[in-house]
Amino acid sequence: MSDVTQRLEELTLGTRLRLEELIPRESLVDLTASYHELFGVPLKVFDGSGKLLAEAGPAPSLYVWLASLRGARAALEYVVDHVKQLDPGAGDVSYPCVTGASYRVSAIQYEGRRLGRVIFGPYLGAVPAEVPPELLLAEPDLDPARALALLAEMPRAREETITQVVAHLRRGLEIILFSGHKALLTSNMHLASVKESFKELQAKNQSLQEAFDRLKELDRLKSNFLATVSHELRTPLTSIIGYSEMLHEGLAGELTGEQRDFVGTIKEKGEQLLELIKGLLDLSKLESGTMSLRKSELSIAETLNEVGSTLAPAARKKNVALSVQVSAGLPRLWGDAERLRQVFLNLTENALKFTPVGGSVTLSATATELAATATEDEEDDDGAVFFAAKRPALQVRVTDTGIGIPEAERSKVFDAFYQVDGSSTREAGGTGLGLSIVKRLVDGHDGTISIESNEPQGTVFVITLPLQRAGQR
Amino acid sequence: MQLDFVARELTIKLVYYGPALSGKTTNLQALHKAADPESSGRLMTLETRDDRTLFFDLLPLTFKGTGGLSVRLKVFTVPGQVIHASTRKLVVQGADGVAFIADSRTSETTNNATAFLDLKQNVKESGLKLKQLPLVIQFNKRDMPDIRSEEELAELAAQGREPVYLAVATRGEGVVETFMGLLYLTWTALDAANDLNKKFDFDEAALLREVAGKLGYQGSLEQLLGSSVGGVLGQRWLARKAGG
Repeated sequence: MSDVTQRLEELTLGTRLRLEELIPRESLVDLTASYHELFGVPLKVFDGSGKLLAEAGPAPSLYVWLASLRGARAALEYVVDHVKQLDPGAGDVSYPCVTGASYRVSAIQYEGRRLGRVIFGPYLGAVPAEVPPELLLAEPDLDPARALALLAEMPRAREETITQVVAHLRRGLEIILFSGHKALLTSNMHLASVKESFKELQAKNQSLQEAFDRLKELDRLKSNFLATVSHELRTPLTSIIGYSEMLHEGLAGELTGEQRDFVGTIKEKGEQLLELIKGLLDLSKLESGTMSLRKSELSIAETLNEVGSTLAPAARKKNVALSVQVSAGLPRLWGDAERLRQVFLNLTENALKFTPVGGSVTLSATATELAATATEDEEDDDGAVFFAAKRPALQVRVTDTGIGIPEAERSKVFDAFYQVDGSSTREAGGTGLGLSIVKRLVDGHDGTISIESNEPQGTVFVITLPLQRAGQR
Repeated sequence: MQLDFVARELTIKLVYYGPALSGKTTNLQALHKAADPESSGRLMTLETRDDRTLFFDLLPLTFKGTGGLSVRLKVFTVPGQVIHASTRKLVVQGADGVAFIADSRTSETTNNATAFLDLKQNVKESGLKLKQLPLVIQFNKRDMPDIRSEEELAELAAQGREPVYLAVATRGEGVVETFMGLLYLTWTALDAANDLNKKFDFDEAALLREVAGKLGYQGSLEQLLGSSVGGVLGQRWLARKAGG
């Protein structure tokens, strides 16, 4: 059994309650002080083991004086010893002192158990006319005049009054003890149930973590598989393309026109397949983080113009306007030229693919800034003073007047093999790999990519790339 | 159960279990109201603002018994709502007997069953089997419309081992009967395990009579224990008495 549940059991069954736990000692001190103030009688509170917890009221001057006299002190000590040993049962008892004063000892009860005792006194019922004989017996050389004078200064109370006061205090204490018990029990129960819930949550977390680890391992196996398979596929495919190329060029003898067409198709489709496999390989390398980017200083204008001139024939063929607009004096970028060309080539190809005849595709580059934390939440400027300033960056926008991407789909298009509309695949072609590779390459440059609408029609892919090298990456 | 040999005190923990809003706290309030102030301590209730039990209610009852052994009964309720699962588990730990307070309304049949399975699970997790635990069942709210019929309950009660009581806790009806049935079953179970009657020269009939009296019950013990549906406990009691 844990400590918490053990403690809880003691508290709920009430088997081991201690006075000090149910009433804070300071409160007990305040309580005794207010009783003394009200009735003028000194009082002391002891716990169940006899330890003094609180007292109020100074020792009467008579007692201070008597304590300095040898015989009287012995007699007083005898009385005090007896008072301390007194068993009041469940109620209260009186004990007389040699001075004629009394002590009243009362049990502090809670739920039928004694948790401690209260001792009232010494107090005097009435001032005696003479020095009590017991006192003279104990201290024969006593100065009777001084004794009488000091007796007159003693705290005074009638026995009936003390009985009432004790009953009142016991009732009050019982209520306080009940409240204390309730609070203690509640807090312990709370603590124990929080602990219990925590234990359950921990077990759940554990099993979730295990499931997560298993999935991560599966994901790694999938990436490995993908990499191996694409690699193995590439080797024979290269031969197929090579041999069909040789056939096509007539190295194995002249072909008829139809044969040349057929072999040409084999070669073309073979090359398409090779591109797809390369894409898969790129993706698996990017996923496993084994693709290394060869970064150097580069000009975005050069990259975009190259993309423009590569795709110009395709655009012309489809009768779509393709233009590149780069602001003058843009700073140079730090990145992998070939991979960035791949990014923009892919995005522009996509744009052309989804833009109908007569439409337009525009590539534009401007200077901008990127939050250092690369946060995508623009509202998140709390405590910006603690974070590095925004970094200068380049923004490239690939704008088309195509079919557009619904808002709900925009976060998914970067997933591998995802297509907004499965049915458009046939019409537009494509593997669904391109954008996932693009996203990972942009990530590899510490950049961001997002999708906006091109009003009234079309899509804008917005790529932001930091100018400087981020950290020492 | 806790037995303090020095102080000759026996502390027994009884738990009122059941679905949310079936009347567990009301049972305790009715017991508290019925009990003689000398035997009953303050009723400790820990309620939320909307009068739902937060952690538990606790009613301490103390009886003299015979052979100088005083018997302290700590009667608890658990919070019925689903979210307090961990608290229910804690309260039921170390229980010597359980009264399951069910809601008689037909609409509550599933909730009753769910809460009962929850009890079973929590008892199991505390290392016990429900079969080993003294258990009585109370079908409360007999004054409500659309309740399960007495015939149906009697038929079902005859198939189970637990005594079944009918009650209207808001009016105090069936409350003392349920409690006495629980106390009787719990005592006989504790006696069988610890030989209490012999060890303390204890008169259990006297204790049961004392408790019933302090709870304001006027009739005989046979009547009281026989008041469950089908009266199973009354017969068991007579057989136990005859067996010595």
